[in-house]
Amino acid sequence: MKNKKLLTAILLMGTILVSAAAQAKSLVYCSEGSPENFTPAMNTTGTSLDAARPVYNKLVQFTPGTTTVAPALAESFDTSADGKVITFHLRKGVKFHSGVNGFTPTRDLTAEDVIWSFDRQSKPGHPYAKVSGGAYDYFNDMGMPDLLTSIAKGADDLTVVMTLKRPNAPIMANLAMDFATIHSAEYADFLLKKGKPEQFDQIPVGTGSFQFVDYQKDSVIRFKAFDGWAGKPKVDDLIYAITPDATARYAKMKAKECQVMAYPNPADLAAMGKDTDIQLLQQAGLNIGYLAMNAQKPPFDKVEVRQAIAMAIDRDAILKEVYQGAGQKAKNPIPPTMWSYDDATVDYKYDPAKAKEMLAAAGVTTLETDLWWMPVQRPYNPNAKRMAEMMQSDLAKVGINAKLVSYEWGEYRKRLQAGEHQMGLLGWTGDNGDPDNFLAVLLGCGKDGKPNTQNIPKWCDAKFQEDISKAAEVTDQAARIVLYQDAQKIVAAQVPWLNIAHSTVFEPVRKEVTGYKVSPLGAHEFQNVDVTE
Amino acid sequence: MIKYLLKRAALTLPTFIALMFVTFTMIRLVPGDPIEVRRGERGISPERLAELRHDMGLDQPVWKQFLDYVWALLHGDFGTSIVSKTPITTEFFTLFPATLELGLCAMLFAIVLGVPAGVIAAAKRGSVYDQSMMGVALVGYSMPIFWWGLILILFMSNTLHLTPVSGRVDLIKYYYHPVTGFLLIDSIISGQKGAFLDVVRHLILPTIVLGTVPLGVVARMTRSSMLEVLEEDYVRTARAKGLSNFRVIGYHALRNALIPVVTVIGLQIGTLLAGTVLTETIFSWPGVGHWLVQSIGRRDYPALQGGIMLIASLVIVVNFLIDMLYGLINPRIRHGR
Repeated sequence: MKNKKLLTAILLMGTILVSAAAQAKSLVYCSEGSPENFTPAMNTTGTSLDAARPVYNKLVQFTPGTTTVAPALAESFDTSADGKVITFHLRKGVKFHSGVNGFTPTRDLTAEDVIWSFDRQSKPGHPYAKVSGGAYDYFNDMGMPDLLTSIAKGADDLTVVMTLKRPNAPIMANLAMDFATIHSAEYADFLLKKGKPEQFDQIPVGTGSFQFVDYQKDSVIRFKAFDGWAGKPKVDDLIYAITPDATARYAKMKAKECQVMAYPNPADLAAMGKDTDIQLLQQAGLNIGYLAMNAQKPPFDKVEVRQAIAMAIDRDAILKEVYQGAGQKAKNPIPPTMWSYDDATVDYKYDPAKAKEMLAAAGVTTLETDLWWMPVQRPYNPNAKRMAEMMQSDLAKVGINAKLVSYEWGEYRKRLQAGEHQMGLLGWTGDNGDPDNFLAVLLGCGKDGKPNTQNIPKWCDAKFQEDISKAAEVTDQAARIVLYQDAQKIVAAQVPWLNIAHSTVFEPVRKEVTGYKVSPLGAHEFQNVDVTE
Repeated sequence: MIKYLLKRAALTLPTFIALMFVTFTMIRLVPGDPIEVRRGERGISPERLAELRHDMGLDQPVWKQFLDYVWALLHGDFGTSIVSKTPITTEFFTLFPATLELGLCAMLFAIVLGVPAGVIAAAKRGSVYDQSMMGVALVGYSMPIFWWGLILILFMSNTLHLTPVSGRVDLIKYYYHPVTGFLLIDSIISGQKGAFLDVVRHLILPTIVLGTVPLGVVARMTRSSMLEVLEEDYVRTARAKGLSNFRVIGYHALRNALIPVVTVIGLQIGTLLAGTVLTETIFSWPGVGHWLVQSIGRRDYPALQGGIMLIASLVIVVNFLIDMLYGLINPRIRHGR
């Protein structure tokens, strides 16, 4: 009798285990490539950042599908009256992943981990500063070395005090970016003692919703659900099936080998839209495609010439032909989904006759110029060559003879940044949803009056610079909106570049997938994703 | 035979030196360097660029970089990837089993189908079979790999649902960390039911795609070689002795006809490795071909230099082994005559 009961118990246990195993939910994401490593602070590519994101958290984060900054590891923060001191209050009881690479954490998240994560990027003497190459591009690009005075422990283990050299309104949006990921200082020590610090960037340990399991180069990355501070994700296993070819990704999705795929081939979008097994999600991209006119080279130093060119180019035709409807004509340098967008801006209408008149008034009857086009397809410009050809044809109608020029992509950017062009196509996808990330980065100038590296029109305007500098320091959102809208009016009047379009971003997911949100920032996130059926 | 092999070995030295120089120079002639390439639209200030170039040693004169590279290579150091910061040999030998497994399967596919097809075509010279077989071989030889791969995926995987689209194993059903890197072996070691058959299913399409060109070459070469041999006196003598057609072709003719076929198979190793670049990209096959393509895109100089040197070494070794194989097939080489 006793044995019978035991047998029944074992059978019951077995049934429960088997059914639990059978119910394990897997989500397969067909990603486009292998990550360089798993430390977001050292990466700039979406591929690498996507691969590390399931493992980690930041002090603050973007709400999925938006650019709204929300609390994450810091449940709240206070800013001092002068805007220079930010005090973060960390969540209590935040656990790190356990059992990865033989590491078992002995404590929860504290200020020490936050300080460690920023010190690695800012202090050359930090024991991990030079590990894995030690290039912290985003930290530098976002101006953190010039902004950050110190980051230190506050009143207790769960308080972090960040002191800035000056008030900085975009700081929270910047801290929601991946470079500001919080690592485990204890894990770093553990590996240092083992003599294998480089494993820190290859085998990640964090506080995120998924715990790292395995990575096989060019093949697969495996994660399992982690019941941490944010709650357990809806799927048990998250698998990145590395599939470099876009057509193969689509074929895999059709064959149910993956449920979400990255970067569809534009040529497949029409078929995806008709496929009843696939939901083709879309969102207005946080991007801008533009035609820069080099304001340091005559005759583009004359505002009338730039305005005339804005009227000489038929952007509606470009939207139809190049973007094939998957884009929106741009009238401002920031996209309409971004706060402070100035909808009152009056756009330039296509009017070649008026353009010709204006050129003549500016003393330009015939003009030989170059027109650079990018050799690659980008989210903000699906076919730069075709776009350039259409522009060339439009410009010819007003007496401008544009010679088309292109270089290898790296060389192209380098030469554009050096200002070798007269007219050139380029664009931008935002990092964090703050207007500063567009206006200051792309059209800003330094204190010496020289354009920033990424200021491709090489255009500097004192009033514009004053507006955006002030807007970066004012913490009142309403005041910032006024300043940024004024800055947009200046751009509209001065036309340092011709705004072309904000493209639409598409993401196909299988019909069984629920809860997936397209990120305007191009991130792929799976915390709230579920798979039905 | 030994003298012959030593002579062959000595000849490989200039090949290595030339390869070192060519791989080093060619990648540097491509515009853009590793730092600029990884920056995207973000750009980089000239000061920061100079700093990073200094850290990577890219600011050194090219001749010095070359000498450093050769010196390191002579010490068995193939360098470290600029992108992943992992030693090149570690990356290469992690990925190489996948390429080798696929390459061997493709070669097996080409030989197993190509040799009999060529023999039968020669034996039935001028017949409908001969003409259609050689027509198919010509089509196979001329097949663009990328197109062929996608057509097979769309037809076999998406329409007929007979084979998986890509990858080496069903990632949801099976999980085992590679032991040997050869999944045909690892799937057996894992003890997971059905894993081996799943790996075989994943191998079918890439094998066909990669093996199609060598199949065409092997079939055509076998046929022409067989036709030549079948005209020989000793074949006529064998027939006159009353030996069966099967014995004449299978024993007397085929063995001699195989010598040029083996040479062609050896030469196909290079074609096969070139084919892996495309095949691995289409089928998400985690091998060295795809890795090299990525390395070009990222301007990962050490990965490209080291990867190409390692592959070249492999091709040279295989050709060396093929030379030794001649000895087994052809006694005149074995006995130094």
